[in-house]
Formats: sequence, C-alpha cells, structure tokens
Amino acid sequence: MKTDLAVVGGGLAALTAARAIQRSDREVVLVWPGLSSLYFLYATIDVLGYADAGAAEPVDDPGAAVAGLIKDQPSHPYARAGRPALEGGTKMLLEWLREAGLVWEGTLARNVLLPTATGTPKPSCLVPASMAAGDLRRADPIVLCGFHGYQDFAPELAAANLRRSWRTGNQVSAIRIAAPGFDADRLFTSIDLARSFEDRGFRAEVANRMRRQISGDGVRVGLPAVLGLTRAEEVYADFETALGYPVFEIPTVPPSVAALRLFDRLRKHLQETGVELFWNAPAHAATVTEGRCTRILLKSAGREQPIEARAYVLALEDWVDGALRAGVHLVRDPFFGRVIAEHAVPSQRTAESIFGVQPYAQLGYPVTDRLQPADETGRPLADNVFVAGGAIAGYDPSGTKSRGGMAIATGYRAAMEAMAAA
Amino acid sequence: MMTEDFEPVTDTVEEQAPVEACTKCTACNTVCPVARNTEIFRGPKLLGPESERFRIPQEPSVVAGLDLCSGCKLCEVTCPSQVSIQTYIRRAQNKGARERGRTLRDFLLGHTRLLGTFGSLTAPLANLGNRNPLLRWFMERFVGIHRKRPLPRYQFLTFERWHRRHPRPVRARRKVAYFYGCWVNYNERRLGEMVVAILERNGIEVVVPRQQCCGIPAVVNSNTDLARKYGVQNVRLLAPLAGEMDIVASSTSCGLMLKHDYSHLLDIPGAEPLGARTYDICEYLWMLHEAKELDLDFQPVPMRVLYHAPCHLKSHGIGYPAMRLLRLVPGVKVEEVDEGCCGISGTFGVKVEKYDLSMKIGSRLFAAVKAAGSDAVLADCETCRMQVEHGAGASSAHPVEILARAYGYR
Repeated sequence: MKTDLAVVGGGLAALTAARAIQRSDREVVLVWPGLSSLYFLYATIDVLGYADAGAAEPVDDPGAAVAGLIKDQPSHPYARAGRPALEGGTKMLLEWLREAGLVWEGTLARNVLLPTATGTPKPSCLVPASMAAGDLRRADPIVLCGFHGYQDFAPELAAANLRRSWRTGNQVSAIRIAAPGFDADRLFTSIDLARSFEDRGFRAEVANRMRRQISGDGVRVGLPAVLGLTRAEEVYADFETALGYPVFEIPTVPPSVAALRLFDRLRKHLQETGVELFWNAPAHAATVTEGRCTRILLKSAGREQPIEARAYVLALEDWVDGALRAGVHLVRDPFFGRVIAEHAVPSQRTAESIFGVQPYAQLGYPVTDRLQPADETGRPLADNVFVAGGAIAGYDPSGTKSRGGMAIATGYRAAMEAMAAA
Repeated sequence: MMTEDFEPVTDTVEEQAPVEACTKCTACNTVCPVARNTEIFRGPKLLGPESERFRIPQEPSVVAGLDLCSGCKLCEVTCPSQVSIQTYIRRAQNKGARERGRTLRDFLLGHTRLLGTFGSLTAPLANLGNRNPLLRWFMERFVGIHRKRPLPRYQFLTFERWHRRHPRPVRARRKVAYFYGCWVNYNERRLGEMVVAILERNGIEVVVPRQQCCGIPAVVNSNTDLARKYGVQNVRLLAPLAGEMDIVASSTSCGLMLKHDYSHLLDIPGAEPLGARTYDICEYLWMLHEAKELDLDFQPVPMRVLYHAPCHLKSHGIGYPAMRLLRLVPGVKVEEVDEGCCGISGTFGVKVEKYDLSMKIGSRLFAAVKAAGSDAVLADCETCRMQVEHGAGASSAHPVEILARAYGYR
C-alpha cells in the first residue's frame, strides 16, 4: 500500500507522532505491533524522574532538569530532540488527552511522587487525575485498600514498603475487603474488577465495605487502578463521592487498566480523525535504496505486505515490540539488518543486581541530530526514516524514569522531520 | 566481528511462535470479547498457551470452557509475541470432540454445503420453515439452534449455476479466480454477481473454479479434521490456478482460511503458494487502484454509511481497504463504527446456549449503530451483517455493493 507517511509502533512515541501528523492534515498509517509497549510501559507519563540511572534523589522540576541535561550532554536523545519538541509535544498531548475525553494533570515544571503497587515512590510528570491524590509529598495519612483474592496488589506489602522507604513519615495503613460477587479462591484480574466497577451497585457496596474499615479523619484512600475501563472518569468521581474520602488509584502490572484506558481512547481517537491502523501486521524490515527507504515490510496473513511511504517514523520501544532482537552474542536491529552490539557472553548485558544500572537498557539505534538512524560514522542510513521512543540508543528510559517525556519529544520531533522529508 | 550467532527459538520462527513465546502479559484476555462479557470463560491465555503445556496427545482431553471461544482471533491480533493462541484452542477442541463424539448440531453447522444444497433445492419451503415459530421451537429443543436467531434465506438459483450461464467478456487484460464461498453460492448470489460485474468493468475476466467450502464453519464447530479435508480439496483444486492468476474472496473468513489457516492452523502441504496469491476483494481492488487500473468513472452514491471492521479482517493485517475504496466514490459519507466484535462469530451466536452472550457482546456495537443513524452498515463479513441487522435493526451491505452502484449496477 502507498501512503504519504507511515508510523511504526504502538507506544506513546508512535501515537504522539501519528497525532502530530494527522493534526497537520497529512495522510498517515499506523502500523501496530500488537498490544505491547503502551500496555506494558505507560500508566503515567514520566519526563525525567532521576538525573541519571543511579541517582538517589528524584528530580523536582523535570523541565529545568531536561534543559540542564541538554546543555551538559549534547548527544543525549533529549538534546537531539530539542527542548521545543518536548514543550510542543507536551502541549499537543495534553490538549489531545482532553479532546479524547481523558482527564489528566501536570506540567513540565513539577514532578509528583506517586506510590507504585509495591510501595516504592516514583516521580512522574503527567498523571491521570485519578492518581494525583497519591502524591507522597503531601502529608495526609494514607489508607491502602486491596481485595481478597486479587493477586496484583498487596496493600500490606505496599504500606510496609512505603513506611520504610519514604522518609516524610507518612502514616500508611492497609486494609482488604471482599469484592462483592467475587470468589477469593478464583483467579480474577484488574480487568474483571474494572468492569464490575462500571456497575453503580457494585461501587456503592465496595464503598460501604471500605468505609467500615477506615477510621480517622483527613485520610486519603489508595486502591489499585481498577476504577472503570471505558467510563473511568464517571466511575472515579462517583466512587469518591460514595466513599466520602479523597481517592487515588495505583497502577498495576499487566493487565494494566490505566494503560488500557489511555491506549483505547487515543487509538480510537486517531482512527476517528482519519489515521488508518494496520492491525496484526508487525513491521519487521526496511528496504533502503540509494539512501532512501522505499518500503517497509509487514507480516500480514499469507504474505509480506509492503508499505510504501514518502517518510517513516520508527517509533518502537526496544525489546518489547521488536525494535531490537537478541541472539546469544549479537543484538540486531531487524529493520536495517545491523548488528547493534556484540557481547562475548550474554551476562555482559546485565548488571549484577536486578536493581542496578542495566547495560541492555542503553542499547538501541544510534541516531543523527535529526533522529535518522545512523551508521558507525554517524551518517544517516536513510534520509527519510526518523526514530522515536525507547528504541533510540544512549539513555535508560526506565532507570531515569524518562520514557514518556522522551516518547513525546522524539515522537513529535520525528513527526516534524518526517513531514518535512516527505 | 562475530558473524555466527545463535538465535533464540522465538526469533527464528517467522510467524508461528512456540508456546514458550507467551510472556503471560495477558494482553489477549483484555481484548477477548467473550472474557469481557462472561466471568465463566477463563480467557485465551489460560485456554491457549497455558493449557497447551499440559496437553498430552495420548491422554483424554480436558475441554472445560473451551467451547466458549468464539474464534474471533482478536487474541492473536493483539498478541505482541505472535503466539498461535487460536491454533492451540482449535486443535484441543477438535481432539475433545473426536473423543466425545460430535453433536448433530455441530455436524450440521460445520457442513454448510450440505445445508446449502438442501436449503437451495427446497428454497421457498426452507425459508418458510426457518420463519415458522413452531418449527423454530423444535429446532431449538432438539437441535440447539436459538429460535430468536434469524437464519439466512436460501435462494433456488445458486451462484455456480448463475455463472455457468453468464457470458464471458470478449476482451480481458487478465484473469482472476473467484472464491465465492458458500454464502454467495446459496444465500447471497447478488453479491457474487456484483463482484463479477466490478471486476469485468475493470477488464478482468472472472474464472470460477470448482471449489469446496473453505472450512471455517467446521473449524469453529470443533472439527478441524473436516476443515482439513476441505482444505486439502481446495488446495488441490485451486493451487494449480494460483500459478497463473490471483484469487479473490468476498468473504473475510474464507479469505483468511485460504491465506493463513490452511498452512498454519491445518498444516496443509502446498497451501502457502495459494495463500500468497489470495486477496480480499477490497484489498485487490485497492491494489488495482494503486496500479492506476481501477476505473474511477463512478456515479455519485448519496449515502451516509457506517463501516464495521470484522474481527477476521483485522486478522488479515491489511488495514482498511474497504474504507479507502469507499472514499473514492462521490457522495458516499463513510465513518467507522469502532465498537469491537459484533458477537455472532459465524455460527457461535446461532446456538441456543450462546445466543444471549452473542447479543451481549454485540450490544455496544448495536447501541453505537442506533445512536449514529445511517443509510446502511457496511461489513465485509456476512455473519457480521446478519448480526447488525438483527441486533441494531439496521440495513447492511458488503462494501462492494456501493462500488457496484457507483458503476451503475442495478
């Protein structure tokens, strides 16, 4: 199929790039690798949580910290994308979230510190309004609530970890209730709970059961992010009123309801505004002739299908969606067939401690100043391909809590470059 | 530089990932329309790759819950690791049915050519019978077909016989073979006539080869044995043609069987070259358009239509060719109605114990169709069209019908 522009990926960088192109009234197709990066990696949007992967202190003002980083490290992907791309992309994204019916909060000037499901503090920049009351910099006491039989959130563990790790001395306690109609001996997931929460009677009964266990004034209540899937805003507001305490959600491991809400709405909104989505056709190779990419190949049913665009945004998130492939010794980029890294033994890719600074996290596509994939000498492999998101080499999106901001900045910049090149 | 490298297993397999490729991410369960609508279904992850590890060929099958899988394939569409979830479920269903014996209903629903031959020979009677409340009560009680489900009308003149009398075009720049499928043959001959008219209008001679049922009704009725038999026959009948011409299908699921499931689900030798030359009709017409070979001399068709993308179309991995084509026709206003699976999944929603679930799955789509209002809902898949008509009270059509009208076909 022929098109003006093609975006490859399903994460925030891909959606941001597709939106930026669609907003300029250009033709764009989105080649989707399956429900992967957005679903695994995004419940909040983190711009810069730690100045480097080993830093102990979280960043307060991510906008200023990124500006500093751009000045100090001119080859950092943030520096290549540029501060205007981060600011322009963030502004566009916040408007887009509103237009798509998602209620989010945050500015580049401030991080909030939200509890994770295991009770560690995590600095985030843009967050759903339903999570904002979880900010650990606030002093009011927290009650964490879990559900009997629901295995992806243990309030006792999260509370114990928060008491231990977070030094402002927040009072954190834990309760558990039985979710009405759920059998604690049977496996159920956040999706099952989220669907039940869309029922008004279920919400009211949960609020009743929780209220009976909560004591004290001025507390706020945290529970796993299961407050509705398709009508989450309504469910959240209604449940908070029914409970009578401020409520915040905590994102869970997959199936992550928070990530699904984000993906479903943005994907749908893109399709409504004319972006064609290629389901079930993961892209896996690019053909380059005389310095220009002439097509990418998708695996569709029965055969390989070429997409011929004038310019491409490769917006993949490294390992989870096929941007990088690892053998025992070599790490390859399947699109251009290059060897990205080689290791005498695979253990060279990982740090001794699972919480250490991971060498594999830095692996990715080297890029030029215009975000084109670069060869060993720094020259572009193709003039009309632009890389965005976690697949860019030279930073650790998880360790520095910068995946979201990088996705926005590089997705936006790559879209601008692609439109100019097409 | 090390040029020799050992690739991990999951990287060397191009399309069919082994069960170990499942990372347990649960993405499949989040999109499964059945799991979204009933707690008793344990979802594709558990019934597919996780159970697969415990399935031993020589031992009796455990099939609890398996028959609730409707076969929409959204699990595979969504899987980021390309795990063949449906293959595991379908093969386990087949083994279970083989051990326990097949029911009369599933036998009948899997044999569409048998039903079709009988239905079309007795067309006026069969159609009356299908609308007779007393007979429907008996069918529900003794066969297990839900009495509220409207059954397709049969027509006396089959597409096969119509085509035999259809004059060949005098000059054609190329030939294409048409896999019309049981639906067009026994139930909606007009759709086949329109496909032929559109292709002939574009200078293409339509060859109608002998063919068997594609096998999808058998697959979803726990009988991959029968589907494989049909598939082997089709490969024998069609593969020689695939050396000379492309094959088009106007039914989404028939096309998917030929393209993908013959070689992947059913392991039929020689199926891959056939699959590689099979196209969905809209995919094919769009290809003509890109080659500047599609006649764009359309009359305006002033219609506001909604487009529903069938789940199996998503599985084709070809984007939305019907939407692209419709935008070429002056006067047509087309919008996608994006509310997921319609719920019928072929013969799934026909069955007495699954009818209510099928209507519940489709309820979001029905509500959206009613709220949007339109002149017609377009869908490439015939059973999606049946479900939308029944659930939303809307009229429906295959997208090519709009093109045929734009070419002046009546």
